[in-house]
Amino acid sequence: MKRRVCVVGVGLSDGPVTPDLSAINLEAQSFRRALDDAGLELSDIEGLASAGYGGMHEVQLAEYLGLTPRWLESSSTGGSSFEFHTMHAFRAIEAGDVDTIAIVYGNNQLSASGRTLGTGGGGGGGRGALPLSMGYEFPSGLTLVGAYAMAAQRHMHQFGTTPEQLASISVQTREHAARNPNAMYRDPLTIDDVLSSRLVADPLHKFDCCVISDGGCCIILTTEERARELAHKPVYVRGAAGGTTHHSIQAMADMTRTAAAVSGPKAFAEAGITPADVDMFAMYDSFTYTVLVVLEDLGFAPKGEGGGFVTDGGGNLRLGGALPTNTDGGGLSATHPGMRGLFLLCEATRQLRGEAGDSQVPGAEIAVAHGSGGWLSTQATVVLGTEPVT
Amino acid sequence: MTDAFVAHNGVSWAESPKYLWPRPNNDDREFWEGARRGELRIQRCLSCGKHQHYPRFLCSHCGKGELEWITASGLATIYSFTVVRQNGVPPFSERVPFVVAVVDLDEDGARMIAALPKLDPDAARVGLRVRAEFRPATDDAAFVDFAPAE
Repeated sequence: MKRRVCVVGVGLSDGPVTPDLSAINLEAQSFRRALDDAGLELSDIEGLASAGYGGMHEVQLAEYLGLTPRWLESSSTGGSSFEFHTMHAFRAIEAGDVDTIAIVYGNNQLSASGRTLGTGGGGGGGRGALPLSMGYEFPSGLTLVGAYAMAAQRHMHQFGTTPEQLASISVQTREHAARNPNAMYRDPLTIDDVLSSRLVADPLHKFDCCVISDGGCCIILTTEERARELAHKPVYVRGAAGGTTHHSIQAMADMTRTAAAVSGPKAFAEAGITPADVDMFAMYDSFTYTVLVVLEDLGFAPKGEGGGFVTDGGGNLRLGGALPTNTDGGGLSATHPGMRGLFLLCEATRQLRGEAGDSQVPGAEIAVAHGSGGWLSTQATVVLGTEPVT
Repeated sequence: MTDAFVAHNGVSWAESPKYLWPRPNNDDREFWEGARRGELRIQRCLSCGKHQHYPRFLCSHCGKGELEWITASGLATIYSFTVVRQNGVPPFSERVPFVVAVVDLDEDGARMIAALPKLDPDAARVGLRVRAEFRPATDDAAFVDFAPAE
């Protein structure tokens, strides 16, 4: 008999600019806040997941936090790592291997490294040897932004998607950020502002790109039985799936279709939902195009019609739109400390608890958190709900 | 590795981060050395007949292990491209703006990423026909760039 699994604690560190905190300080701070949020103690945590720092980081982190976990996870799939961690934690708890798991990530990317992530090295690497296909990408002079730009260019060619439609994603996300006091940028943004910002890699402008910030996040999952004893109304994990199509962008067979076209339908089927049931979408908005292509791949819009979906009815990503998206201001305006996947799960949980304040989606019952990693390389979908699958 | 070869705009590869240098390995030494001779060497699968780039131990189309080296025509079509306008790393920081494209070789199944230093950014478009050009990098390797075919 499979056990039901719930998110019972979420914690955000200080942010978005924290020059006095190290990366592991940010992880520890968000972990402590998630424990407090859940009403759990250190000794309750039996499993730990983290990623982003190479070999054995999750082991170092366990030691640093004073944990001796018997379940460890460090799938390293870029920004989607934490949706993969959630999927694997979901399975482990469901199967009875372990009861309570913390997933933790923090990075002082902005304070430690500045804003060089997207243009600081060929393909966004530059931190050492990423071998094999990257050995061809780097010498071409492609940047991380350029890889996404190339995919966006192909979508525009194939489907007539416009720069204005991409810009609208940034504009609508900024509206959400304006309500978040911890967002990096909160001033209103117009389509013209995006299109007149400098081109970083055609067709992507500066304001088509996510911010670089500092920040940490932690979520805690446990069994439904345990969740009922804790502080908050449980948020159920209803379904999860992931996949990959390539590593370097040169190997992406169809730049207009990501592995979300596989992970989405699988996760939705497990969750017993269709796209029309989704009340709120937490999407890894590394770039405006990432949002657009995944909206299509998850079935919120037919393939090629993501641009129209984004702008229809005055903007479907706004509060009151068909699919309020990144209600905390997203990576495009609020928080992006190198990787954002975990923050998506936090915001989705806050919405389902009804704790999102001015950005609350009224009566939200189903939320989707979707991580995208690498260069559109890895995709993972997690469906959360206020009720379990029946 | 010699520093005799100078990249565009006078920035030596020796002044660039090492990850930007060609790194011939067990799979792809033939590719790099072929490029140094002015030949675009790619693999063709003896089982399924498809081609692949970058070179690998197995065919990425069918998984079989019998591969032969062929010299490709050098002709290709732009699948997609971008104009890199910001890159903080030399020599690219001195070279912006420039076009980078993913191109489909005429040989079925093979796709490459490459710089197109001679292509005017305003003239770049999906579907443009391009031809390989070879830019010496070291004594035993050259970069493969592409340029408009006509």
